[in-house]
Amino acid sequence: MIEVRHLTKRYRDLTAVDDLSFTVGKGEIVGLLGPNGAGKSTTMRVLTGFLPATSGEVRVAGYDVFEQPLEVKRRVGYLPEAPPLYDSMTTGGYLRFVADLKGLSRARVAGEVERVSGLAGCGGVLGRVTGNLSRGYRQRVGIAQALLGDPEVLVLDEPTVGLDPLQIREVRALLRSLAGRHTVILSTHILPEAALTCGKVLVLSQGRLVDFDTLDGLVARHLPGRRVLLEDIAFLEEIYAKLVDAAPGGEG
Amino acid sequence: MRALFAIFRKELSVYFTTPLAWVVLMVMAFFSAQFFTGALDTWRFVSLRAVQVQSAGTLERMNLTDLVVARLFGAVALFLVVTAPFLSMRLVAEEKRDRTFELLMTAPVRPAAIVLGKYLASLVVLAAALAVVGAYPLLLSRLAQGASGGPAVEWATVWSGLAGLFLLGAMALSVGLFFSAATDTPVVAALLALVVLLGLWTATQFTVGVEGPARDLAAALSASEHLGPFLQGRLVLSDVLYYLSFSVLGLWLADRAVEGHRWV
Repeated sequence: MIEVRHLTKRYRDLTAVDDLSFTVGKGEIVGLLGPNGAGKSTTMRVLTGFLPATSGEVRVAGYDVFEQPLEVKRRVGYLPEAPPLYDSMTTGGYLRFVADLKGLSRARVAGEVERVSGLAGCGGVLGRVTGNLSRGYRQRVGIAQALLGDPEVLVLDEPTVGLDPLQIREVRALLRSLAGRHTVILSTHILPEAALTCGKVLVLSQGRLVDFDTLDGLVARHLPGRRVLLEDIAFLEEIYAKLVDAAPGGEG
Repeated sequence: MRALFAIFRKELSVYFTTPLAWVVLMVMAFFSAQFFTGALDTWRFVSLRAVQVQSAGTLERMNLTDLVVARLFGAVALFLVVTAPFLSMRLVAEEKRDRTFELLMTAPVRPAAIVLGKYLASLVVLAAALAVVGAYPLLLSRLAQGASGGPAVEWATVWSGLAGLFLLGAMALSVGLFFSAATDTPVVAALLALVVLLGLWTATQFTVGVEGPARDLAAALSASEHLGPFLQGRLVLSDVLYYLSFSVLGLWLADRAVEGHRWV
């Protein structure tokens, strides 16, 4: 579904992405993991056609991003690093605008807006001006707009940044439910997130591919003999959820 | 097409739900009121003088349209040239600044649709501003009478004057749109557009002491020279073409600037 071959992105004196090659199959959820400045956002921007590559080839859903950008953009739902909201619009108005941009037919728009805002958890703020929303809600609206039109491919740049642990769990559940029918590539620099959400993890550092495998494969290769239990990571969330629910007037 | 209208509607809603367009309209109303009362004072002075001096036929030849309305329109023209950059500066540069440009450029939308949708919205604001200016000839026609008891205002001349102002405004907005697409900061876009537009407005000033081809070239490029005939009630094809060609040039350059982000 996503084929990247020898992708290089160079700015004047900085190489942001260096000879990156990988393939993401249909229906997979892949995590791009790496420290800040590793080239995750740059790679996603090239994938979605926002930035041109310096060299290399990128194909999404069978179309070359540089030669046939409109075909690619029709099939991709993208959440950039900063959710692209227009502060003076209401959430509902904004989602309807993005639906129009994506070319959804008139009849579908209202239903789609309701569907994605329900999935992303921002159905309650459709009437509020996005400039007034909290960071968490802005992020959720950003996720909602990426889901509009049910695109084949989802490219999400740090989708859970700014969300509290309970909201992160909801987004994770959402993304996992989308896998299979959709191909998802998301970036994060929080390893537990990658481990819990993604089937495979691609590790980037300084623009170069370090490794690309399932979590078990990575552990076997780099920390042989150790065992990682996902339950250990999830357990911290359980404690948090219990504490927060039990507190008087806690988040429900 | 859907995307073009979506962007047009969105831009229009942003224009009218944020202060910018309202401030421009307010300032336009204020200054055109000043120019109008100034022109009326001049008219009153001239007509009183004509009565005192008793020069034959002067009063009959005096024309509200030429002396008051055309004067008003001429002043509004310069005002348009100076404010258009501030109306158009935000069209693309603000999207880049607010990180929403990424949304537009990753949606299945052609750069031309983005440019045209935004441009049309700015034209609507221009039309609103000219509607405010058009209130003054309307006032005159309600409250005044012509020399021989006829209509106070020659509407054909007024409409051609407004058409000229609209074309001038359209040209100024397209220049502003280009600079907005070419820069990252709205204010820089406004200043660059202002410099270019003022240069075009005063083109003939640069060739004051010069005769020959240079003079002709300056006159051909001058935005103010081409407005004259409109204010006199004449729709001359070459003047219409001047404004239309500059507008199309500005739009084409803006399209290239937006498309250029794909290549750099």
